[in-house]
Amino acid sequence: MSAKPGEFTVIGRRQPRLDGFEKVSGRAVYTDDIVLPGMLHGRILRSPHPRARIVSIDASRALALPGVKAVISSRDFPDVLFSERQPLFARDTANYIGEEVAAVAAVDAITAEEALHLIDVTWEPLPAATTLREALRNGAPRIHDWAPGNVGPTHEKDYGDPDLGFAESDLVVEDQFRTPMQHNTLTEFHVALADWSKPEKLTVWTPTQSAPMYQQNLAKGLGLTESQVRIVYNNIGGAFTGRGRPKPHHFIAALLSRRTGRPVKIRAAGDEEFIMFRGSGETQYRFRTGVTRDGRIKAIEMDITFDSGGHAEWVMILWLPAAVMNWLYHAKGSRYRGRFILTNSVPKGSHHGGIFGRISAGWMQHMTRVAEAIGMDPAEFHLLNAMDPGDTGLDGTHFASCGLKECIRAVVERSGWKQKYGKLPRYRGIGIGIGAQASGSKGAANDTSAAMVKVDGDGLVTLFTGIPDMGQGSHTVMSMIAAEVLGIEPADVRIVAGDSDVVPFDWGAFSQRGTFMTGNAVKNAAEDARKQLAAVAAQLFGVPESELRFGARRVFPASSPQKALSFAQLVGKTFNSPEGRYVMGRGFFNSPRAFGPLACSFGAQVAEVEVDPATGAVKVLKVTAAHDIGRALNPLGVEGQLDGQVFSGMSQVLYEECKTDDGQVLNPSRLEYKLPRTWELPAVEYILVETIDPYGPFGAKEVGEGPIVVTMAAIASAVANALGVGMVEEIPMTPWRVRAVLDRMPG
Amino acid sequence: MLLPAHDYVKPRTLEEGLGVLSRSGAAVRLLGGGTDVTFNMRNRLMQPAVLLSIRELPELLGVEEWPDGSLRIGAACRLADLAAHQAVNSRHPALAAAFKAVASSHVRNMATLGGNLNLDTRCWYANQTQEWRAAKGGCLKTGVDACHVVASVKTCVAINNADTPPALIALDATITLASAGGRRTLRLADYYRADGVTHTVRRTDEVLTEVIVPPTPDRLVFIKDTARLGIDFAYGTIAARRAADGRTRLVLGSLGPAPVVLRRAAVIATQRGLADTHIEEAAEAAREDLGVVSNLYTPAAYKRDLARELVRRALTALRDMP
Ligand SMILES: Cc1cc2nc3c(=O)[nH]c(=O)nc-3n(C[C@H](O)[C@H](O)[C@H](O)COP(=O)(O)OP(=O)(O)OC[C@H]3O[C@@H](n4cnc5c(N)ncnc54)[C@H](O)[C@@H]3O)c2cc1C
Repeated sequence: MSAKPGEFTVIGRRQPRLDGFEKVSGRAVYTDDIVLPGMLHGRILRSPHPRARIVSIDASRALALPGVKAVISSRDFPDVLFSERQPLFARDTANYIGEEVAAVAAVDAITAEEALHLIDVTWEPLPAATTLREALRNGAPRIHDWAPGNVGPTHEKDYGDPDLGFAESDLVVEDQFRTPMQHNTLTEFHVALADWSKPEKLTVWTPTQSAPMYQQNLAKGLGLTESQVRIVYNNIGGAFTGRGRPKPHHFIAALLSRRTGRPVKIRAAGDEEFIMFRGSGETQYRFRTGVTRDGRIKAIEMDITFDSGGHAEWVMILWLPAAVMNWLYHAKGSRYRGRFILTNSVPKGSHHGGIFGRISAGWMQHMTRVAEAIGMDPAEFHLLNAMDPGDTGLDGTHFASCGLKECIRAVVERSGWKQKYGKLPRYRGIGIGIGAQASGSKGAANDTSAAMVKVDGDGLVTLFTGIPDMGQGSHTVMSMIAAEVLGIEPADVRIVAGDSDVVPFDWGAFSQRGTFMTGNAVKNAAEDARKQLAAVAAQLFGVPESELRFGARRVFPASSPQKALSFAQLVGKTFNSPEGRYVMGRGFFNSPRAFGPLACSFGAQVAEVEVDPATGAVKVLKVTAAHDIGRALNPLGVEGQLDGQVFSGMSQVLYEECKTDDGQVLNPSRLEYKLPRTWELPAVEYILVETIDPYGPFGAKEVGEGPIVVTMAAIASAVANALGVGMVEEIPMTPWRVRAVLDRMPG
Repeated sequence: MLLPAHDYVKPRTLEEGLGVLSRSGAAVRLLGGGTDVTFNMRNRLMQPAVLLSIRELPELLGVEEWPDGSLRIGAACRLADLAAHQAVNSRHPALAAAFKAVASSHVRNMATLGGNLNLDTRCWYANQTQEWRAAKGGCLKTGVDACHVVASVKTCVAINNADTPPALIALDATITLASAGGRRTLRLADYYRADGVTHTVRRTDEVLTEVIVPPTPDRLVFIKDTARLGIDFAYGTIAARRAADGRTRLVLGSLGPAPVVLRRAAVIATQRGLADTHIEEAAEAAREDLGVVSNLYTPAAYKRDLARELVRRALTALRDMP
């Protein structure tokens, strides 16, 4: 269901990015472009051992080097914590190669680098366990006292009655799957510039997905209040879940600034990018599904073991999958078992697609296998079990809008699935995947977005928003929303963002919450401003407010458009009225649900691939993608998101892998960490399924990470199909892995 | 990750440059396009006291066509120019393809042929930052008696990852090495050593000044297998040449410390011809004969499979060429 003609003037338009010119012309300012007077350069000394006791740290030689202004370590700040049980600088023991041990601030980068080599640390190496296998082995060294068997936090949850579900099943299928350590490969390297020269105010310039999250964490760790921490962000070169919370270098830059009284910049140097990143770690999965002979899913079980690295930093990824596994199919019950295993390697978080993209690459292969085990076409199987609008998942998530079945039907038809599935020549494969994603998932009571607009006399509007634009196009969409409400053009809306001292609270751009949450806040703020203008216009025209129309930079009574005032005229009349009203609108949005998402997007994709049996190389020929994203506010932006996610999904399934030895990444550069390029992009056909969501701004949901989850599923399933195996049990499906699968096949 | 301190010398003539080399060759690093040297210096794999820029030396520039049909290519010619050069393309299109296969257009705009022929060998454990390597404690390549790829080896197994040597070796190219003491000419095939540390026979007082490619009516193909188009170092390359009388030569690149001339596979192709079954036999021979280790990207077993496939494809292409 698309917008009726005339329903909107701006929404639904193919709006090019408002910041496009700035970016392609190289004028856009990024954090590393900023140079402050008196700024120092910071560098971090990192542990060269996977696990070792720090016997002593002697910085005297470094401090004697001309140009060095400070050297700090845990000896100076023993009580600053980075996460719950994790000191900022390794205190007694370092737990991975790359862990922060000390830091230097110097007048230039080369001096800082030289100084690192002059810090004398005496180490006592200890036995280490750098992989899941080593950490889980009998007799493995215990990395933290609080984690016997190296098992960190766990999360166990049953929904409905999984035991009954399995008991009612005619067939239970079980599979294993593994995903490696993967890096978010943000275009913009990690960087933080901190100025804490005055004790009561810390300013940090840095790319971020959430200024409040950075404020909270830095304030807590450094003994400040939240608004004493000011976060400033400019353009951001990608985030992909990689900038959800501050990293150690943010704290360290701040402490160096405090110590020296000067601004300090720390920028990832080369392979440090692969230490700071906190992408996904090695993960092992066990999937178990119970079905009846006629294809009904009765029970779903997932068991996931995460390598969390040297500390348990980001526990959220442990519990997220539990809920999400309930959003696709009807079942009697589901069971989730998740655990973090500590290893002597870089602490992990998650990668583009969240944890669910990677789960999906295995889970959807598994579901295809379940369908085939009972002799069903997997597309039919998905369709039979899929959610409908008005359904509620076992976890309590309600789907007021849901186009999952429409998406499945659309990709089946447009990809020619029926003519191809089971009928392709050897080494050609076709696979289908489905998925659901939260449009913002409330994790805390203050999961709020707020916005303000001010309306100036020339009819231009300034929108104050805390949503970061990391490349996803949010600022353009927010301009469109404000413009639609006020009846002006997106170009009339100037965005002020990127400064927590200036903009109102916004939880940020993660969990696919931007369009949905911030969009609602912006809509509310713009409506507030319009109401103020409408009150004046109603008097001027002598009609009730409900009779007024705002559009094409004009305001007029519905019955007599020829009487229209220009938007700017109305603003002028409002300001110059006896009341002298200056129009400012404010709005905020917080989901009425206590926890979890208020809406979900759904999608289905079919991928076709070709495998070269001699080299094992996989080529993705075509992806047909149907996504229920609510209303497409900016179809051009939606397609951009789809392109990016098909690309990244393909990349994770076929290419990306951090190879490691002793927990050290062997390929820590963009040359060696093989991300595909545009040459490798397959043909993508998009189908936008616009279910209008009652809670979304103009009915919109999300297109932030929904598609990638489905791409990973479809491509992985297609490769398994091409190889004629039930599951390819590991990604990335690189040429040598595919060759190894072929070698193991009989005949 | 910043460049270490060094002196920069840019001689006006080759003789002047050779003078510098003869006085202090060991402390000098020749600088062609710098697309590899600068990375290695940032990583402190190389810390020369002097960078000697040779990229604008007149003696090292230009492509000449000699009366006998040979091509003389100056070592400082840029790969971008060579890939587009009319004489190179008309005489040896597969060689032009090899020039074009190196890295990306940005890199080829800087990179020189001499730099590619002398490209340092590469390894997971060596081509890392100084801090990274320190955690491992160094290796043969950095003067420590240890190898992290194969614990037992005494000779470095870093990989010669350069794209242009196989095609030039297949074409019987010769090179000239100049020093203050004189000139010597060498077959490029004899230039490389299967040792990742000292991977050529060049002395530190020598400069590679030119490459001579003799004329030939033979067919030549060049194939490069990579993860991604338009940027990557190879998983493996092959140059294959076949004369009208069936004599065949096969040279593999990027699968070990030096380019590998495949003997048995070439004999099979030469003596039995290029029917599918014989191509298969030759390809299998290549797989069996290749000594490889798991280093850079691919495991050893895959490297052997890849060698077989490269031979298969190259011989099929030679057979099917118009
Ligand atoms: C992103 C990236 C991708 C790359 N991909 C590839 C690839 O796909 N294939 C490939 O082959 N290479 C690749 N390279 C490596 C390198 O860029 C090329 O090999 C290039 O041809 C090197 O030439 P140069 O002139 O820049 O060499 P330099 O860096 O100047 O020199 C390289 C070495 O050769 C020595 N040298 C230079 N000229 C001479 C001479 N005349 N006589 C004796 N010694 C000399 C130098 O002292 C140095 O040791 C890549 C590099 C990068 C950065």
